[in-house]
Amino acid sequence: MAISMQPHGIQSMLKEGHKHLSGLDEAVLKNIDACKQLSTITRTSLGPDGMNKMVINHLDKLFVTNDAATIVNELEVQHPAAKILVLAGKAQQEEIGDGANLTISFAGELLQNAEELVRTGLHPSEIISGYTKAITKTLEILEELVEKGSETMDVRNKEQVVSRMKAAVASKQYGLEDILSSHIADACIQVCPKNPVNFDVDNVRVSKLVGGVLHNCTVIRGMVLKGDAVGSIKRVEKAKVAVFATGVDSSATETKGTVLIHSAEQLENYAKTEEAKVEELIKAVADSGAKVIVSGGAVGEMALHFCDRYKLMVLKISSKFELRRFCRTTGTSALLKLSQPKPDDLGFVDSISVEEIGGSRVTVVRSEDGGNKVATVVLRGSTDSILDDLERAVDDGVNTYKAMCRDSRIVPGAAATEIELARRLKEFSFKETG
Amino acid sequence: QPQIILLKEGTDTSQGKAQLVSNINACTAVADVVRTTLGPRGMDKLIHDDKGNVTISNDGATIMKLLDIVHPAAKILVDIAKSQDSEVGDGTTTVVLLAGEFLKEAKPFVEDGVHPQNLIRSYRTACYLAIEKIKELAVSIEGKSLEEKKSLLAKCAATTLSSKLIGGEKVFFASMVVDAVIAIGNDDRLNMIGIKKVPGGNMRDSFLVNGVAFKKTFSYAGFEQQPKKFLNPKILLLNIELELKSEKENAEIRLSDPSQYQSIVDAEWNIIYDKLDKCVKSGAKVVLSRLAIGDLATQYFADRDIFCAGRVAEEDLQRVAAATGGTVQTSVNNIIDEVLGTCEVFEEKQVGNERFNIFSGCPSGRTATIVLRGGADQFIEEAERSLHDAIMIVRRALKNSTVVAGGGAIDMEISRYLRQHARTIAGKSQLFINSYAKALEVIPRQLCDNAGFDATDVLNKLRQKHALPSGEGASYGVDINTGGIADSFTNFVWEPSVVKSNAINAATEAACLILSVDETVKNPKSESAQGEAAASAMAGKGRGRGRGMRRR
Repeated sequence: MAISMQPHGIQSMLKEGHKHLSGLDEAVLKNIDACKQLSTITRTSLGPDGMNKMVINHLDKLFVTNDAATIVNELEVQHPAAKILVLAGKAQQEEIGDGANLTISFAGELLQNAEELVRTGLHPSEIISGYTKAITKTLEILEELVEKGSETMDVRNKEQVVSRMKAAVASKQYGLEDILSSHIADACIQVCPKNPVNFDVDNVRVSKLVGGVLHNCTVIRGMVLKGDAVGSIKRVEKAKVAVFATGVDSSATETKGTVLIHSAEQLENYAKTEEAKVEELIKAVADSGAKVIVSGGAVGEMALHFCDRYKLMVLKISSKFELRRFCRTTGTSALLKLSQPKPDDLGFVDSISVEEIGGSRVTVVRSEDGGNKVATVVLRGSTDSILDDLERAVDDGVNTYKAMCRDSRIVPGAAATEIELARRLKEFSFKETG
Repeated sequence: QPQIILLKEGTDTSQGKAQLVSNINACTAVADVVRTTLGPRGMDKLIHDDKGNVTISNDGATIMKLLDIVHPAAKILVDIAKSQDSEVGDGTTTVVLLAGEFLKEAKPFVEDGVHPQNLIRSYRTACYLAIEKIKELAVSIEGKSLEEKKSLLAKCAATTLSSKLIGGEKVFFASMVVDAVIAIGNDDRLNMIGIKKVPGGNMRDSFLVNGVAFKKTFSYAGFEQQPKKFLNPKILLLNIELELKSEKENAEIRLSDPSQYQSIVDAEWNIIYDKLDKCVKSGAKVVLSRLAIGDLATQYFADRDIFCAGRVAEEDLQRVAAATGGTVQTSVNNIIDEVLGTCEVFEEKQVGNERFNIFSGCPSGRTATIVLRGGADQFIEEAERSLHDAIMIVRRALKNSTVVAGGGAIDMEISRYLRQHARTIAGKSQLFINSYAKALEVIPRQLCDNAGFDATDVLNKLRQKHALPSGEGASYGVDINTGGIADSFTNFVWEPSVVKSNAINAATEAACLILSVDETVKNPKSESAQGEAAASAMAGKGRGRGRGMRRR
């Protein structure tokens, strides 16, 4: 931090309290140092034997994980150069979903080697051009290292999927990868659309329930919703579903209105007509053949009463996204007003039941045969942080599957590829001049 | 050389072996707190918070929750206690103790430089083997007659209760618990067993209602004229207010003719009379509502020999609905027979200082209520917690009905088995599995310590018994009454196997989790901006700081 003693020059032109570092000594080396520190932190988390890091973020939430992307995210890095590394890791996470640790550690290592070169007097721009040449050559060599015969792959074949996914999951949760990857593969295969390239990672949901142990994890074809069913009916089989995006209630006007009553009979009939109205609407829904009503907002008490009377099961899904996924799972189209649904607006489920898992009640929506677009992996574990970590592992697995669908070529892992690349690159460098 | 600030100001980081050791120390300290609550002779802890609430408890999960721990590693122990509570219901002290012991056994290895990953791997293998062994040793109570099952379940419940405050009356309560759980049947929802607390009397005065009981709610004038006892009444459950008031808030009545005024007033009265009439016509003799039942309605019902109660708690109403077979109505129009409930007897009884409404002899019978009596409030609260534990145990045992011998027997047996197995392994994991086995012995050791017996002596006897090749010593555990060892199985000291397997699993997971952390970073809270700039470059072994707990 060079606090220049010159009040004139660039210091006086810029705002109060800023820091200005330039030159080899200050800027380049210090930046490299900062990045090195960051990569040292994440380095020990690489691979199946990687150690976890315990991070408490500014909201006091506890993370215990070895996923580099999560760690650096929560670390709140201040130094600008190190932040670039963080962004690189994030980009890797968004694009591919895995390999963030590789990115950060590799970048740190590159910078460390560059530092030695800089100290021997090499100009940074020469280093940059050298690195650029190296990366082009590396990508070429990488093509050659691809395993033969892995270009084509049946993304629905479970063994092939599992064999590719195991390594990714193992590096997160060593020792549990067999069980986990088998479940993840199940879930992904169920959800895979006709054209594998269109695989949407959002369709594989994760549901975390505290309690039990990993061996109790299951995959459910359908969705798991936290919370009980509203109303008294808790179980329904082979039912048609109607979805209402707004609440299920008698409509109230937005503007402040007053009801003008002119005679005694009007007063008496007032309450009755409201009730009758709601009953009519619910009856209409029941007549359309729906046995289940799903509401995106609150369900009025009067409406609930009639739903019970007409033996309709009522579910409440408060999140818009969950509601959308539910519609995808069951093939329903959401209605905006409480009115009689048309036959093709209705969806279908194999069963909905309220079960108690690990002390909390959840609603399990099962949709077995064709057209089910959403699968849920139910994770059990003893603490919240374990569950969060398992979820990250599942995410990695699903992202690997997505990458597989796009391009199923594989290269040997466990640093075999890296060493081979290093060797070939070295040979290549001997042929270069300068 | 000016320092490079990598992380935000106020961040706290510690790293390396020292960090791991300090984490282990923190967790051992927490385990020490609950250590003395284990077993029938375990002591209870009295905790009072800054609001002045006093809680006396023996239940591990409750104590951990109230302790308000800030150290992140120790928080993991709190989490596993909670998860054991929600999954199984009992064994929360066991799980914390086991986790603490696993870590304590791991400490010397870590200090000697063993890489934690090796420890984690061996622990996981050992855990898997232990669970398999439990499955082998478990005895099933499936397929027995209901009577036999009941007695077996009662013994399990008694074992659970023996370590709690109400252990003195464990036989009495155990049979109550079993009756309650069998009453709620297969569709078992925990909130269908209500527990009501009435100070006064003593423990023995508690009773079980095979139906629903709840306190008398606020009642208006005319209440006393209503009959208080019915045989085979029809019951109407409502979710509306039976009061003389305006229908809707924003209704305005505009008249052009003053003579019409009387008709409006009449109309209002007619509305409420209409509602009440419909209730009466339905044939119900008991009317319950979640919202208030006003004085006009109360007197109307009293004139017609109908009992009513308003402002009934939601939970109680649900229980009545489940027990009597009725459904809660939101409108009095169109009341059909099938929404009315029935029961054999309804009456209002005086219990202690309170009057209770009791529905008994319910046909669908899917509920039960336990009314607890006792001296002090804290006492009754602890009794409720203990009963909750026992109820959870019986439910679990009913579902997967395998039991193992308690009193430290199963722990010693697994310990012996693991030690034997360890000898067949060449390599470092032999040492680790051995230490895992040693850690399991903490349960019988602590049971003895708490009872005041000589732990070393008893443990030696147990070890010898379990090492008998014929396997007959497999179910020998600590005998609290004599200070020696006895066959736990024949002494009816049993535990559902799911308690033990869950505890071992959770404890192992927690231990592995803590062992796998080599760096802790604590970001400053978003509200408070300041904090020491401890964020200086941590490129080395930081002196680990254990937060909140004293170091050993």
